[in-house]
Formats: sequence, C-alpha cells, structure tokens
Amino acid sequence: MVETAAIRALRSMDLIPFVLENPGVSIAELAEKFSVTQEQIKSDLQLVFMCGLPGYTPYDLIDVAFEDGIVSVIDPQVLNRPRNFSSNEIVVIALGLKMLIDINQMNPTATAKLKKLSEKVAKLGGSNSILMAGDVSQVPFFEIISKAISQQRVLNLQYHSLIKDQVTNRLVLPEKLYFLNGSLYLLAMDINIDSDRVFKVELIKECEIGAPANVKKSVAAPVETTVILDIQRENQSFIERNSSIITAMEERGKSTRVHLQVSNLEWIMRAVLSNAPGITVISPESLVIEIKETAGDLLALY
Amino acid sequence: MSAQKTERLINLTLALLATKKYLTKAEIFTTVAGYTGTPETMERMFERDKDELRELGIEIEVGGLDPLFEDDLGYLIRSETFQLDVNQFENEELLYLTMSVNLWHNSALQANSKAALLKIQSLSGPIESDAVNLPVISDAENSKTLSTAFDSVEKRYALNFQYKGSERKVQPYGLYLQDGFWYLVAKEKEDIKSFKMQRIEGKLSKIGKEFAFIKPAEFDLAIFLAKSRLEKKEVAVLRVRKNQGHALRSKYSVIEIDDEWDQMEIEFGFDQEIIQTILWYGPNVLVEKPEKLRLEIKSRLQVLANG
Repeated sequence: MVETAAIRALRSMDLIPFVLENPGVSIAELAEKFSVTQEQIKSDLQLVFMCGLPGYTPYDLIDVAFEDGIVSVIDPQVLNRPRNFSSNEIVVIALGLKMLIDINQMNPTATAKLKKLSEKVAKLGGSNSILMAGDVSQVPFFEIISKAISQQRVLNLQYHSLIKDQVTNRLVLPEKLYFLNGSLYLLAMDINIDSDRVFKVELIKECEIGAPANVKKSVAAPVETTVILDIQRENQSFIERNSSIITAMEERGKSTRVHLQVSNLEWIMRAVLSNAPGITVISPESLVIEIKETAGDLLALY
Repeated sequence: MSAQKTERLINLTLALLATKKYLTKAEIFTTVAGYTGTPETMERMFERDKDELRELGIEIEVGGLDPLFEDDLGYLIRSETFQLDVNQFENEELLYLTMSVNLWHNSALQANSKAALLKIQSLSGPIESDAVNLPVISDAENSKTLSTAFDSVEKRYALNFQYKGSERKVQPYGLYLQDGFWYLVAKEKEDIKSFKMQRIEGKLSKIGKEFAFIKPAEFDLAIFLAKSRLEKKEVAVLRVRKNQGHALRSKYSVIEIDDEWDQMEIEFGFDQEIIQTILWYGPNVLVEKPEKLRLEIKSRLQVLANG
C-alpha cells in the first residue's frame, strides 16, 4: 500500500510523545515499534524537526536530538501527549480487560480495579457493536502461574486430565500461558518425563509454587505420530479448533482430508468417538482397528 | 508522496491544536508554513488537507465568528478529541492496559494491539515487568478479513462473500468473539444471522460506499446474543462408572446405583453437544434417557463399528 502524506504526518507526530516518555530510545527500537524501516524513522524525525507553531522561530519548532542512533525530545511543543485511541484500539483494550476480569474473578481487589478501568475506557468511545459473547472461565491460580513463569520457578500441579480421565500430580516448569478457542492453556515442561506438555488451566485442581527452577529445558521434542483423518462438513469445527496441529489439508468434495501431528493417540481416539460418525481414520492402521473395536464394545453396553 | 505536503499537514495540525480561538482560512494561509500560490491554489490545498486529516479520524471543528459571513468561518482541533490526558490513568492502570493489549499481540488483531501499545507506552514509558506479557491469545483468524469486518461494522459498508457454498450479500450489524472464534452478525435479506468468520471462503469484499444502510436503532448486539442463548433445556439421565468421568463429576452430583455405576442428571440445549460429551467418555458414561439420545448414539456407533 502506498503511504499517504497524511499517514506519514500522523506517524511523525506520534513519534514525539513516545520519545518524550522513552528518552534515549534507539532508532532501531523505534523502527520496530512503528513497523517501518530505520531509514524511515530518521527521515520522519528530520521532518518533524522542521515543523512547529506559527512564528517558526527556533523557539517555536519541535526540538528533537538524535545522535549515535539514540533519540530524545527537547521541546515537544503541543505534542506532549499521545493521540487518542482509535475505536478499534479501544475494542482491543476493552475485550482484553473483559478477559482479565474473567480470569481474575477469584481476586476481588484486582477485579475491582479492572472494572473501574473498564468504565474509564468505555467513556473514551469504543463500540457496542463489537463484543465478547459469554465469559472466559475463571482461573483461580492465574497469579501463582504468572509469578512462576516470570520468576522461572517450578509448579506442583494436581491436574485432572480429560484425555486420561484421571487426576495426577505433576511437577512442571511453566513456560507460557495462552488462550486457544476461548480457554486458557499452560505450556510447561513436565520435569519427570522431561518433555513439554499442555495443560488446560481450568482443569488444574491444586497449584503450588516451588523452588527456582534448576532444570535444563528439555531439547527432546515429544514423540509425534502423523494421523490422517477424513472429516465431514458438519464436523468442520474439529478442523477449526485444531488448526495449530494440522500440517496438511485437502478438500475432497463433502469431506476434508487432514494430516495432524499428534503426541497422544488416546486424545484422537476420544475425539473420533465423540464426533462419530463424522470423522474417519485413514491412518495409522492400528488406530483404525482400535476405533472399530472400541465402538463395537461400547455398542454392546447399550 | 511529498515531504512538503507531510510537513504542511503537521504544521496545520499543530497550529489548529495550539490555537484557543478558531483560525480563519486567511489566518491559516498567512501564518501556517507551507501554504503558497494563488488564493485558489491555497484554498484547494487546504480543503484537501482538511479532508485527509478527517479521514484518519482527526476531528477538525468548524466554528463561525460571524454566522452571516462564510469567509469568517474558523477551524480548530480540540486537544481532548486529539490527545489522551496524561493524568487519565494511574500507573497500575497503565500496567493493566498494557496487559490487555498484549493479549492480542500474536492474534489477528495484532496491528491494533501494536498501535494501542505505542500510545500506552507514550504515557507510561518502558514497563519492566514480565507479567504484562502473559497470557497471549492464539488464533487462526485472517487478520485482513477481520479488519475489513471491523471497518465495515463501524462505517456501515455492505459486504459480499462466499459462505457454505453460496454467495452472500449482507449488511453488517456487529461482531462478537465466542470461545475464541469471531462471528459476524449481519442482515441477509430479511434475517439477522451469525456467520463464523473462519468459514468465509476467500475474500470479504465491501460493496459500494460507506454508510450505505441504516442499522435499526432498536438493534442491540448484547440483546441479540442473549436471545440466541435462550434455548430449551432438556434433561439427560446418564450412568457414570465409578472413579470415571471426573470432569462431569466436578460439575454435577450423582446418586449411587450399585458397586459399578452412579447415576447423573445433566441439563442440555443441543443434542449434538450432549452426544459429543457422552461419547468422549467411551464405555465409562452411558445414556439412559431420553430414548432419542440412546437411539442416536447407537446408530452413530454402528457406523464406526462397521468401519
């Protein structure tokens, strides 16, 4: 897209309050933050340096200094504050705050502060046409997990695995918290088996923070099997929910053939059963047989 | 793109922002650097500059010094419509704002997240806390499609796209995020429907001009969503094997039947949903009632067992 003079003017103006609040920032960092090249940042700064208030004596101009790749603002004129948030930016903030409120439900102090902030943000504009439907599950151990991640400490979890349908104790080194399909997940290294595992945070029953981690991050990738499935149109949401582990996909009329990298075949078993008869296993053969047998056994119980 | 024009736009914005009174065109032409040429040229330049800034969301206010003479119309930009207030947020709030936008920095809304973060950091300075970096949202939405949808909802562009094998022409009323997926709420012919954004095939195209349709004043997205959740509740009676079905047991109570089985009652809205839940547990959760669920589950298993 060709950049218009007006877009460049706004970016150049946006640089001033940012540098003012982050003095000594480097050209390289500005380029990264503003998603443009370093050359562009330099030329933007040179441009605003020529601008100012009517009168245009040196006293009325914006005063920026940049030496050795380091930038600081001496006189911002009227550009001492950032521009207002755009309506889309307010949407992103408002939805983010809503999620933070939901996951912090167990913490009344944080919730009260977040709600007050949400009201302030709502007054800035925003949209009643872009919303979040439903709530994110509360996460009783959110603070403990966050703390363990930022301080690199281990966690003792009592975890209820949906796949194995059992509750087990795990010692893990937490790495990352992320939302996927509306649920919060924890990626952590399971220290006893020396391999990364993903935990659905709402299934953590107990959680205690332990000592600073003294374990090396495992280099061994988990063992994965390639599974090939045919998925009917009605069961399309299976594809949407698992897009992160799909490695290949091919439309075949009424169904879609997908290749998945799976580290846990028990999960695939349950997923196929649960989506019956919309998912057909093509490979591996052992899984084809196992599904057939399980379905037969289950049928016998009815 | 010319540097002179960019420079003139900046000078114009600064002048309109700094002034306490409306600046007339004549004052702008004599004092703001960059306006040169014949009066007609300057006039054209100014009109274009003003439109371009407005298009990017800058509110240029017009005020009359004397309502009878258009020549005396003046312009200014109010600081409160242009800039955030430095004292608007406390330090802790800036931290929460940072967390709320960082949530999206890997998602399809990352461009908005990045732009908002810049502004927050222009108030807060650098934040030295890892805590603001978690959690993050991971999604598989198409950011271009999503941004077109955002824009169309705000500016009321009609939309055109392929969905479930047919071409759709709709008037977008709103967007919502549910279980990590974005949905477009739009009027197609006479009905208001939800479209899952990821199921839009190919390109989402705007048709015609902005503000092309009227969204009824009585339409309220929150109410629309609340209504679509009001579904009929039925009760399923299940048999759950001892020491199995932990997730169900943590949500619903059971009555003991014998040494092997407990009984559980679950309310449900959609057959599909409860069938999926029951089948997930394989031989450890069986349905007893209603009969239609038993029959449906049996016929589905039949297909799997016959391979």
